[in-house]
Parts: sequence; structure tokens; C-alpha cells
Amino acid sequence: MSADLDPHGGAPADTRSSQPAWWLVFRRELSDLWIGGRALNLLILFSVLMSITAFLLATNNELSLTPPRLVIVTTLEATTSFGLFIGLIIAAESFSGERERATLEPLLLVPASRREIVAGKYLAALSLWPVALLLSVPYVVVLAQGNIALGPAMLWGAVLGTLLIVSFTGLGLLVSMWSNSSRTSLFVSLLVYLLSLLPAQLPGEFEATPIGAIVQATIPLEGVRQFMLKGIVEVRPVEELWVLLYAPLAWALLVLGAVFLYAAPRLGLEGMSGFGRLTTRGVEATR
Amino acid sequence: MMQDASSEQTGSEAEPILVAQDIHRSYGTRRALRSLSFSLRPGRVLGFLGPNGAGKTTAIRVLTTILEPTAGRFVVDGVGSEHPDQIRRKIGVLPEGLGFPQHSTGLEYLTYYGQLYGRRSEDARRIGLGLLDDVGLQKRADALVGTYSHGMRQRLGIARSLVNDPRVVFLDEPTLGLDPRGQQELLALVQRIARERNAGVVLSSHLLSEIEGICDDVVIMNQGQIVAKGTVAEVIGRSAEGGAQPNSARVRVAASSVTSAAAILAAMPGIARADPDTVGWLTVEFGDGDGAPIGDMAKNRVLDALIRADIPILGFEVAGGRLQDVFLQLTAESLG
Repeated sequence: MSADLDPHGGAPADTRSSQPAWWLVFRRELSDLWIGGRALNLLILFSVLMSITAFLLATNNELSLTPPRLVIVTTLEATTSFGLFIGLIIAAESFSGERERATLEPLLLVPASRREIVAGKYLAALSLWPVALLLSVPYVVVLAQGNIALGPAMLWGAVLGTLLIVSFTGLGLLVSMWSNSSRTSLFVSLLVYLLSLLPAQLPGEFEATPIGAIVQATIPLEGVRQFMLKGIVEVRPVEELWVLLYAPLAWALLVLGAVFLYAAPRLGLEGMSGFGRLTTRGVEATR
Repeated sequence: MMQDASSEQTGSEAEPILVAQDIHRSYGTRRALRSLSFSLRPGRVLGFLGPNGAGKTTAIRVLTTILEPTAGRFVVDGVGSEHPDQIRRKIGVLPEGLGFPQHSTGLEYLTYYGQLYGRRSEDARRIGLGLLDDVGLQKRADALVGTYSHGMRQRLGIARSLVNDPRVVFLDEPTLGLDPRGQQELLALVQRIARERNAGVVLSSHLLSEIEGICDDVVIMNQGQIVAKGTVAEVIGRSAEGGAQPNSARVRVAASSVTSAAAILAAMPGIARADPDTVGWLTVEFGDGDGAPIGDMAKNRVLDALIRADIPILGFEVAGGRLQDVFLQLTAESLG
């Protein structure tokens, strides 16, 4: 050790950095995701799932069992579903994982607002979506076989996929802020994810029933799926379909509000206690 | 010298840098902290002691703005607890059992936190390098934290707690899990932080003998409230005045001399008994066994008798004369 332990002058502690806290947290999270290998592993998994989906669709296509427009929509649907899965997994681990690794407390002790910290982590969890979208392009292009619906489908797929990613990643983050255990937050997030996918597996007649209509109107994933099917496959005018996007839009706004207006200011060292008491800034220490 | 938050400060002494005023903290119906009041001056180390569940960590979390007090307030360097963001700029904290990112180097870790405290990248890096040097990690600056030993991580954690040049540093069990050398080095570092940075240090630890060696002041907590506070000497002295006057001592002699030493001491007037204890140690009880207070000269006579008998004395401890004895006495209720 050095002989002296001089106070370090430098910039005064209250001098604002040229970089805001959310940007610093975002960069750090990004570096952890990519250098830590988690992002790469998830993207490899994404590519494998996309390859399997593309193979199955191509086989059907060769047998002329599936119309090209439906193939495009199905491929984009798969891209969104797998992208949601990745975003959800990363977000679900973000705060509960820090709690488990005991790395959250120093972050909560810095003079940055909790919203900034949450925003940094949220953006980092969203960061894999553009890469996943990019990875899906060759699959969609090959399977589209030059169909004219490719351009609009890609555009709508990107926009609506992003809308879903915003709400699902936010949901994962919300669960993670609430939970002390990564396992719990992953389990809850995956359960929500699977429940969201469920309506797509129900028979077509179900959509015509009143319950089917309610499902379409409330489950964001189903709303987007119906929008893509009706807009791209059935080539219906977009004006007729806006109503299908109310649910995804409402969910995105609701989740963003819940994350940044409700949960972020209450972010604490422990999950549930911080949410339960409006007067506390964080954890209930038990020692 | 530490004083009650309510007491007047003398003009020649530095103003307290941390003042806790009647802080309470409850979890539902359970009262984890009751009427916590103390103050700390710059350049001094305050030992925060207490058995498990005494409320030490809760107190530290309240004072570091992680938890909000149910009642009461505290002031750090002139900033009241109503302004947690401003307080965070003035404190450094090493939480108990702190985790570290495995994929960052020590320097990256410190630079990141320096930036989060508002420093520019180049300043944060320069300060990070200086701090790594201060805590003896300069050679491992570019090594991944995942490759650091536990002791190195604790030192890195202390370096992190200093990135904002804090006025008060809170260290929660920093020596936990360290080997004796690591403990010694870390405690020496803590003392240097207080002296050379003129910062107030709040040190929570179970190592009472070590605390006694480096702390200027001490707060002993039990069941959520302070049971003793003051300088180490004051706390030990007050405890003695309160009826804990030592009436026994332990003497360590060569193992081969234990029997003869016990016989010599047992035959002395004013010695109730002298029994071999663990290897080489004798427990000597003064007086007639009624626990009546004894004078310091009685202890001298024990040593004198052994010296006259040419028995080498390897150690001598007066029961009740150490912080550990006071701690055990004051916290006996919860320990029992």
C-alpha cells in the first residue's frame, strides 16, 4: 500500500458528469450482457429457433401448403415471439439478479434517481431486439420468395414487434423489481409469456366467439397477430384494423407507467417490501 | 470524543460531521431501532457494536438513506435526512457481503462508480487509479474482479466507498471472512481513512479486540437501542463504575510452571483461588470470593509474586477490563 492516503481532489462530487446516470448504467449493462456472453447465448438460441421455424415453413411452402404471405407473417410472428422471450429473460433477471449477487446496494447509494437507474437497465434489456430483428431478415427474405408483401410486412413487423417488446420487457423488469429471486421473476415472466401465446394456439372458430373477441381486444400479442394476418395476408385496409392495436398500445403505456411512475421510485434493496410501503425508500433490513 | 447529539459542543473541538437525533425505525409492529442518538466528529472512527439482530445494519441503512427512519432525523455534514440525494454525495458505504461484477476490472469498477458520482470519465479513472494504489491493489488494476481474493474485494469495496471523497464512511462488517493478516491490514486502512482524509468512519464489526484497537468512539447496541456510547475508555470505565469492577484476572505462564504458579498464588493473602485454565493459563480470583471490588495493587502483587518465584509471565488479562467484557455484560440479556 502506498504511504499516504491523500484525499483525492479531482472534480467535486457534486459536479455533473457529461454523461447522465441512465447512459452510464445502460453502457455498463450492455457491456455485462455482451462481454458476459449472455446476449450471445440468447441470440444463438434465437437463431436456432428461427432456423427450425424457417425449415418447417420452407418445407410446407415447397408442398404449396402455406401461401407466401402467411409464411412471411408466420416468420415475423416467430421473430417477435422469440424476441419477446429474450427481452423478458434479460429484464426478469435485471434487478432480482443484482439482489442475489448483492450488487444492487451500491447502485442505490449513488446520487442518481431510481428512474435513471431503471431506464438504463430497461434500455439495455431492449437492446437485443434490434439485433434479433436484423438476424431474422435473411429468414424472412428467403421465405418470402420475392412476394410484394415483404416490404410492408417487414415494416409492420418491426414497428409492432417493438411495441410488444416495450411492454413485455417492461413487464419482466417490473417482476424483477418486485422479486428477490431470479428464479421467481423468470418463472413469473415466462408464465405471463406462455399465457400470452396461448390464444394463438386456440382453434380459429374461437376468434368468432365473444370470449375470442375479448381476448383479441385485451391480449397484446393476439392483437398484433390479428393485425398482421388481416393486414398482410387478407390485405384488408389498415383503417379497419386500428382497433386491433388498441390493446398493444394500451399495454405498452400501462407497463411503462407502472415501471417508471410507480415501481422505479419505490425500487429498494429488497423487492416486495419496497413495493408494499410507500414511506420507505427501499429495503427492510432484517439484521 | 463522541457526545450525545443533544449535548453542547466545545468551541475547540471540530463540529460533528454526523449527528443522529432520536432515530426510530419500525417494521410493522416490530421496533428495529429505538431512539438512536449519537454524533461523530471528523477524523474519528466510531465502532458500531452489537449482537446479531441488535439493529446495527438497520441503523447503517437508515443513516445511508437506503431506509427511511420512522421517526427522528440525522444530519451529515450539514445536510438533513430530508435530502437523501444530497446525503448520498457526502457518504461512502461498504455494505456487508457486497457483491462485485465478475467481468469488470478493478479500475473499470471504480471508474464506473466515479462517473455515477458525477465525475468525468478521465477524472474518475485517475481517481480510481489513486484509490487502487491507496488500498494496495495498483498491480491488479487491470485484472478482472472475478480473479480477486476475498480480501482484495473488500479493499476494492472500500476504494469504491471513497470515490466521491466522502465526509462519512460506513463500513458494515468489512473484516468478515478475512484471515488475521487481512483483518489487520484492512483495519489499518480504515484508521488511515479517518486520519488522513479527516473523514468520520462508522465501523460495524464483531471483532471486538480489533475495534478496541482502532476505534476512538464506540456505540454498543442491543435489541434496537444504544446501551453504551462514548470513547472506548469511557465505555469501559463507566461499565466498571456500574458494578462490573473486575475481581478476577488471567495469567499466562509456561505450561511447566502452571502447577507451581497456582500453588504460590493460592497461598497469597487476598486471593480466593488460583486455578489452571486452558493450557498455560491460570484464573485468579481476588478477595474472599464474595465478588467485592479489589484494588489495582492486588493485581500487581500477583505479578510480583510470580516474578519473585522466577516464573516467566507470558500474559496477563484483567477480567472486565476489555471492550469484549463490557460488550458481553451489556448484551447478556439477548445472548442469554
